[in-house]
Amino acid sequence: MPIYRLLLRLLPSRFHARFGPEMEDVLAYRLGRAGTRLGRAWVWLRALADIATHAALERVRPHGSRNDEREGSGMGTMGQDLRHALRGLGKSPLFTAMAVLTMALGIGASTATFSVVSTVLFKDLPYQEPDRLVAIWPGTNFNNAMVREALATSPALERASGISGWTLTLVGVGDPVEVRANRVSPDHFRVLGVQPALGRGFDDDEGVPGRSDVVVLSHAFWVRAFGADPSVLGRSIPLSGADDNSHNVIGVMPPDFRPVVGNPDVWIPMAPAAGASLEEDESWYVNHRVARLAPGATLAQADDQIRAFARLARERIPDILDEDDVAEAGVQPLGEYVARDMGPVLWVTLGAVSLVLLIACANVANLLLARGESKRAELAVRVALGAGRGRVVRMLLGESGSLALAGGAGGVLMSLGLVRMVVALAPADFPRIDEVGVGGSALLYAVVVTLASIAFAGLVPALRASGVDATASLGGAARGTSRRRGSRLTQTLVAAEVALAVVVTVGSGLMLRSLGRLVSVDEGIDTEGVVVFRTSPPDGRYPDGEAFQAYYRDVLDRVAALPGVRSVGAIHLLPGTQDNWSFPTFPQGYEIAEGTPPPSVNFRGIWPGYFETVGVALGKGRYLADSDNADAEKVVVVNQAFVDRYWPGEDPLGRTVRTFRADAVPYRVVGVVGNVRQHGLAAEPRPEMYFTQSQWGWKWAFWVVARMADAERPLAHAADLRQAVWSVDPDVPITGLEELATVFGRSAATTRFLATILTSFGVLALALGAVGVFGVTAYSVSRRIPEFGVRVALGSSRRGVLTTALGASLTPVVAGLVVGLSAAAVASGTLRTALFGIEPSDPVTYLGVGGLLLAVAILASLVPAIRASRVDPVTALRAE
Amino acid sequence: MSHDGSAREFLPLHPLEFRILMALARGPSYGTRIVEEIESREPGAKLYPANLFRRIRDLLARGVLEEATAPEGADPRRTYVRLTAMGRAVARAEAHRLRALVAEADAHELLQEG
Repeated sequence: MPIYRLLLRLLPSRFHARFGPEMEDVLAYRLGRAGTRLGRAWVWLRALADIATHAALERVRPHGSRNDEREGSGMGTMGQDLRHALRGLGKSPLFTAMAVLTMALGIGASTATFSVVSTVLFKDLPYQEPDRLVAIWPGTNFNNAMVREALATSPALERASGISGWTLTLVGVGDPVEVRANRVSPDHFRVLGVQPALGRGFDDDEGVPGRSDVVVLSHAFWVRAFGADPSVLGRSIPLSGADDNSHNVIGVMPPDFRPVVGNPDVWIPMAPAAGASLEEDESWYVNHRVARLAPGATLAQADDQIRAFARLARERIPDILDEDDVAEAGVQPLGEYVARDMGPVLWVTLGAVSLVLLIACANVANLLLARGESKRAELAVRVALGAGRGRVVRMLLGESGSLALAGGAGGVLMSLGLVRMVVALAPADFPRIDEVGVGGSALLYAVVVTLASIAFAGLVPALRASGVDATASLGGAARGTSRRRGSRLTQTLVAAEVALAVVVTVGSGLMLRSLGRLVSVDEGIDTEGVVVFRTSPPDGRYPDGEAFQAYYRDVLDRVAALPGVRSVGAIHLLPGTQDNWSFPTFPQGYEIAEGTPPPSVNFRGIWPGYFETVGVALGKGRYLADSDNADAEKVVVVNQAFVDRYWPGEDPLGRTVRTFRADAVPYRVVGVVGNVRQHGLAAEPRPEMYFTQSQWGWKWAFWVVARMADAERPLAHAADLRQAVWSVDPDVPITGLEELATVFGRSAATTRFLATILTSFGVLALALGAVGVFGVTAYSVSRRIPEFGVRVALGSSRRGVLTTALGASLTPVVAGLVVGLSAAAVASGTLRTALFGIEPSDPVTYLGVGGLLLAVAILASLVPAIRASRVDPVTALRAE
Repeated sequence: MSHDGSAREFLPLHPLEFRILMALARGPSYGTRIVEEIESREPGAKLYPANLFRRIRDLLARGVLEEATAPEGADPRRTYVRLTAMGRAVARAEAHRLRALVAEADAHELLQEG
């Protein structure tokens, strides 16, 4: 309704003040009876046409007269006007094609963008009563006891479920494969209000050790691994990596079920040790929590209760939660949680495309203005023959209306293709991108935008052109005041177009510069020519620590022996991803304030050869070596960020680090290495420690890194790599075999995606702006041909005429540039979170955009200006 | 009957205006109620706000309708309107005119089936 309220302003203020509220009531009644979404869209269409027509009539003839009835606003005359308009448009196909194409581009791009924005930010999550779903305390790690207690102390929450991403291994069903799992509380599917399509979900008693050997499959995994065989229900499948090794299949989710987090193949219940308290529970892997509000409870109540819980929890586990954690406590609507931090960026995109649409409208308005001028004679005849002003307005509105409707239809078609392109371009982890499509609300948006375009692009020129004075126009004295007014309007439109184009282009310029900065960031390693893959031995395959080590020793040796491999190593968390382990750490001599938890430092397990293979620089001391084994002194390598943070200005070599507890076994620092962008290009390096697997002893699944001799085509020997690994043990799955450069490329994917989209808007804005400047210059030159003829006849030089013509057309351009650059300086602040390495006020971007637009404008007005300078005075004056 | 002469100056009425007058024949009413009334008698009719309220505004201006006092507790934003004596005469005159037209159509055997 706010849209309608805005539209009501088209009516004279006295009218909408008196009847506005009731008009809204009538429209609400109309919409209420429309039924379907399509029906409602149609009602909106009719209501907008209703307002547009009557607003025009009201402006023209405020006090209804008898003639008004005859002329009618019925569909009869309207159809006549429309037919007339179409005939008129058919006579100038070039004008029509340009206007329709312009409209279609504007409407298509904005409809496609709206589809993405509305899906990611507003579309209901596909769960039961999604408005009642929230995420609990986002950003903090929970253990299972914490989930339980948060629920117990918050009456505003009805149910809650923890979610944790795991990787399991499926052996014995075809090739060994890694399986992505969500470990969830038994209540998970009840929280979401979704039931499996086949079988059942988890029972409450399946969340305890010994009973948790059950699994629910995703539809896609069921089809992929079991050929959609319904008899899989009740079967036991060998899934290792969780507490139990074989799991009974109890359910299959519906094909359209969307997980809250990640893209899991299976769900298995979390089974924390029974009765463990908040302090004792070691299951600190519950990264996400989703909860359902109790009936009647509000978000604010739940928020208050979770914050109260957070303060209690901080008192009980002060060395795990700090004040910053508590400050972030609360609940967030699940829709926002799922959309992550995309909100501001998406709004910016929608804003940018709306500006492009405005430029398109201004262009069409300009075209119509010019056309209105050239149709003066025809209109004058009609007025002289007795056509009312209202009728003339309707005829002209019919023209812009037909253009916009054709443009709207073309735009909707175009948006279908554009949305597909956007989805294909988007990074895989872009929230809800697979749900994006041109749906009902996008179509409604297209309709509204189309009608707004009619009003914007058509009404002004129509009202102007209808103000024609029959005698003056027919008498040939048309070069009077009204023409000058028309040209001022045209120039204002051009200035506005240029200003809008500047804003959009500055936005895309800033994103492009960010992308440039981002991809030239020093990763701290040399990714070229390095191939990575993960091998994860199933649980129980190497129960013995030595056998486990021997397996990896063998794998690394055999890979190293391949002819295409230069060097090899391994690390348990791949750099360039969001995967991370960080543990409470006690650097020797570093003061930890009373009552605060020790710093949490990134932790990596490696196999010697890792640093050399990926080319991490050695700052001091030495790398880790094979000799740093279980029997030798415990040693660690830290990165430069670690030294800068905890031992600034001191010699780190020989100092010790303890992990988890202040009295744990100390590890002596033997080397300092360069910082690696562990979390992608945009994230500053954090303090980090590297241990060898043989000294630490945990059985991690490792990422093997191999530097290939053929740096151009590192994956050429992929088959050999697999063969080498499987020659050690054919039952261990290999996953994620790709180039390390690809992994790092993905971390810039969102920036690249946004840069691509905003750049295409920028190019569009620039092109439309150029067309606008060209059109206006050409038009104004053509009108001034007689004047130029006189000038040349009186001895003015060709060059002088050229300068005059150029100067006249560039005045509004320069005005637009000034306004646009100032507006961009204000608006670009909204991009701040999406930028990397530059400020929103980056002078290079502004200068570049200003120069580019000026150059384009000069080029666009040069052709008509040259034409002006070549005018033949005799012809020009004869035409007069 | 004193209005009958001047009432004829309003004829023929715009069909929508005639419908508005009929909707008000039984007493005062307001926008949405008038829409409901008209659409309930004539399924398929769909009225839109700007059109409707311009007509109402014109009828008020021409003295065919007048503002009526709203009943107790009514939404204050609503404008209640009712027929003036002139309005009633106009409606009647239009009805007579239409009846004459229909009779004429009948005389031309347009109303017989088949």
